[in-house]
Amino acid sequence: MREVREGELASMAVLFERHHRPLFHYFVHMNGNRELSEDLVQDVFVRMMKYRNSYRPDKPFAAWMYQIARNAQNDAMQKRKFEVELGHADVSSSHGMDEKLKHEQEIELLRQAMARLPLEKRELLVLSRFQNLKYEEIASILGCEVGAVKVRVYRAVRALGQIFFELTHRRMAAPGEEIA
Amino acid sequence: MNCEDIKRNLVEYWRGTLDEADRVGMEAHLSSCSQCRAEAEGLKHIWSTLGEFPEAEPGLGMRTRFYAGLREWERREIERRHRFWWIRHPAFQAAAAVLILVAGLLIGNMTATDHGQVAQLRNEVSSMKQLVTLSLLQQQNASDRLRGVTWSYRVEQSDSEVLGALLTTINHDPTVNVRLAAVDAMKNFADSPVARKGLVQSLNKQSSPMVQIAILDEIVELREKSAGPSIQGLMTSSNVNPSVKEHANWALRQLQ
Repeated sequence: MREVREGELASMAVLFERHHRPLFHYFVHMNGNRELSEDLVQDVFVRMMKYRNSYRPDKPFAAWMYQIARNAQNDAMQKRKFEVELGHADVSSSHGMDEKLKHEQEIELLRQAMARLPLEKRELLVLSRFQNLKYEEIASILGCEVGAVKVRVYRAVRALGQIFFELTHRRMAAPGEEIA
Repeated sequence: MNCEDIKRNLVEYWRGTLDEADRVGMEAHLSSCSQCRAEAEGLKHIWSTLGEFPEAEPGLGMRTRFYAGLREWERREIERRHRFWWIRHPAFQAAAAVLILVAGLLIGNMTATDHGQVAQLRNEVSSMKQLVTLSLLQQQNASDRLRGVTWSYRVEQSDSEVLGALLTTINHDPTVNVRLAAVDAMKNFADSPVARKGLVQSLNKQSSPMVQIAILDEIVELREKSAGPSIQGLMTSSNVNPSVKEHANWALRQLQ
């Protein structure tokens, strides 16, 4: 990124190759929309080129990139007012199903739970679990202390667990119904 | 560790980033506190299942779009730089200042009869040339420094600041071409004992055979006989290029 900042725009290609997939995953987990996520990845790289002078080499690059990604995501949310798409797998009762199918349905239920999680909690899980960022990096992105990140991530997992168990119990109480 | 600490450190425990002491404390607590153990097991299941989410892959079109965008961005950037690069260039800015002063001088010549004023303006032009030379010699870019050497031909022979800067360039500039040009520019200061002494002293500081040979030529051209001992030192030094030694031998004969 230092090279990009100094005017070597071709180095942006290296950054793209290294980071476009993690960025795409970040957006898909945040908004559940593939097409929008691809647009947002492009948007992040355009913003990186545009605001390259705001990059400080002494700060972690990931923190700077995800700050830009968060802004892009927030702007898109405000513009589109879309809702996170829920999974459409048939989450019917688990009687007589084999283990693999049960597991797939569990993942699907958890995906639905993620979609219902408040945005700030979902983001914490995306950054820590899917993007596998260090707590120091997350603290830098969110502008808070590492201690606060620890507590917030724990609370996010707990909140997700709660929604997941509610969905599971509702499913067991009324098998065959689509949860929306 | 108490129950509160356990909650705070659970995720790090799963991620394997807890230090050894905390990990041992965590396991000891979990084995003794059934409430924390139950919570940890339930949440760990959530955490692990999250890790099994299949990741969607971006379409190939994304890469194509990015590279098309990058090319367009670069094109615009080059266009923008070409359009205005000369305005921001220090050489242009200094040259523009000189031109304005010269224009002022000419107008002054046509309209004023006060020779004192004209002389003052000439002095200003002269110091402006000095400023341009000195500032260019300090640029990071080698071609700017080369331009600075060229500008040094326009300053007065008596300008000791420019002479000092040229000698510094000969001794310390990282680019051979700039050092060579600076050696050539010393002709402009042929009458200065400081310049001659500086050249002679520089002879043994150089590592580049090309620059050493250029200095030897310059010394011969200036007929600087005091250079004899330095040239002999060059001939006896063990780490001097053989062709430089030969040229030094030639130079010594020329000076005799």
